[in-house]
Amino acid sequence: MAPAGALVLGILAYPVAWEIWASLTDFSSRAEGGPVFVGLANYGRLLGDAWFWKALATTLGYLAVTTAAKLVLGVGMALLLARPSRLRALVFLAVFLPWAYPGGITVIAWYWMLNPPLITSYSVFMGNVKHAVDGVLGAGAWAFLSVVLFNVWRGGSFTAVFLLAGLNAIPTELFEYARLESRSAWQRFRAVTLPLLAPYMALAVFLSFTTAFADLGNVWMLTGGRIIFPVVGTYAYWLAVKSGQLAEAATWTLSLVPLLALGLVVLFRWFDPREETGA
Amino acid sequence: MSARRLRHGALLLLAAVYSLFPIYFITVQSLKTPHEDVFGSPLWLADPDFENYTALFEGAEARVRGFVIIPRVPFLAWLANSALVLVGSLALTLGAAVPAAYALGRLRPPGWRACRRVLFASYAVPQTILFIPLYQVIVHLGLDDSHAALVLIYSMMALPFCVWILSAYYRHLPREIEESALVEGATPVRAFLRIVLPMSRNVLVAAALFTLGTVGNDFMLASIFLLDPEKQTVAAGLGVMDVSLEELVAVAGVNLAAIPVVAVCALFARTYVRGLTAAMLEGA
Repeated sequence: MAPAGALVLGILAYPVAWEIWASLTDFSSRAEGGPVFVGLANYGRLLGDAWFWKALATTLGYLAVTTAAKLVLGVGMALLLARPSRLRALVFLAVFLPWAYPGGITVIAWYWMLNPPLITSYSVFMGNVKHAVDGVLGAGAWAFLSVVLFNVWRGGSFTAVFLLAGLNAIPTELFEYARLESRSAWQRFRAVTLPLLAPYMALAVFLSFTTAFADLGNVWMLTGGRIIFPVVGTYAYWLAVKSGQLAEAATWTLSLVPLLALGLVVLFRWFDPREETGA
Repeated sequence: MSARRLRHGALLLLAAVYSLFPIYFITVQSLKTPHEDVFGSPLWLADPDFENYTALFEGAEARVRGFVIIPRVPFLAWLANSALVLVGSLALTLGAAVPAAYALGRLRPPGWRACRRVLFASYAVPQTILFIPLYQVIVHLGLDDSHAALVLIYSMMALPFCVWILSAYYRHLPREIEESALVEGATPVRAFLRIVLPMSRNVLVAAALFTLGTVGNDFMLASIFLLDPEKQTVAAGLGVMDVSLEELVAVAGVNLAAIPVVAVCALFARTYVRGLTAAMLEGA
């Protein structure tokens, strides 16, 4: 126990403390002199900032859309793969591949495919798509959307494989009873499969939350900060790296903690219920 | 019945095409000549050419073509670095996760549940600008520009999940298994190494593949913590290439680096699912 705890908490403790401390000061790499303690002023300013609420809304939208897409795809593919079929082994491998393909670098390829930097055979087509999307949603929307697509593609694969494992863990008798008791496949799915699968879905969703930001970060770094579509995460990067306003950046980042903590509470409720303790 | 099976088959095919299409697409682009890249079709190849791949192996010297300086990349060194970081992360993650999981799942000291939760809660720390203070930690440890830094950080990221699934598995493993070994005169450590560890092989593979996925998914940290071009991993190295000039070489690099990873995953994909299932039985 000790080594693992030391590794995780030991490495994380200082950065987290630093972030909290920085968010309470006016720390900036541009200012003269050392940081001054300013209390909760940064948070106050944040809450009064219209840009922040817009970014928060986009972030929530991003999380909701990617999570929903990943869940639907994941559940669908897991159910498909759970049924015996001759093709199953091969298709299973195909579904596994998006996650197995090293994401940190595939996202590079993926991003440049959807936003071709050079004249290639498909760049006119992609350019048209980009302008159509940007025209409706604002500049940078297509670049942002391409990251969303990548995240869904890769995360959906992880979710599918994870939920397939979950389906395997459910005793088959339950499905056989359900077959006898229910009238339609849809009813069976809603009354039996879904509730049994729910805890695994919660875990998969939570893990996909955390990677959703990693993908944005990857692309942000890669394109030299070309995506500043208003999302809390990337805007915090922008503040920290481009303009050196570390205090604000820390405040922005920490503003997501309540959200993630809430997710964590829900997760533990479903996946690690207390009642079992006596067993 | 047969219409149903046909529909099932069609859906399976659709899932496969959906999953594979992006990989197919980037592979097609990476095999194109510059001419075909501009005038050919994006979807298929008329004249496959491995130039982009061989360019990766031509050593680290820069070369001039026309008016353009084409930097060469030490791709083999990057591959070796990636492998080193990966193996290190795997060893450290599993080495730390197994005893922790066994302690939490089997010995259950008071507060084991809280411990496990706190560990898992570290996923809730937003990673966004964490690299700034992390860098301070790394410099303080004297690991600046060293692979050990990445090994530490990746292990930190993969550990909570690994501890979680392993401890869930150990918790539900019947106690009699070890007890019978103890009765036969084995020491607890020996019983663990010879009996419990081999039994949890599937779960170990699942944990290892998860670690692989975590390491593979990162680009940002690698590019921040490794500055020396000779020391970079594939992800960090390809990222610093001038992508707009050498897009296809970078894509070729992605594919080439993916081959061993994909092979390993294909080999262990089934075990991965089995391991996860074993950990999930009776609801983790």
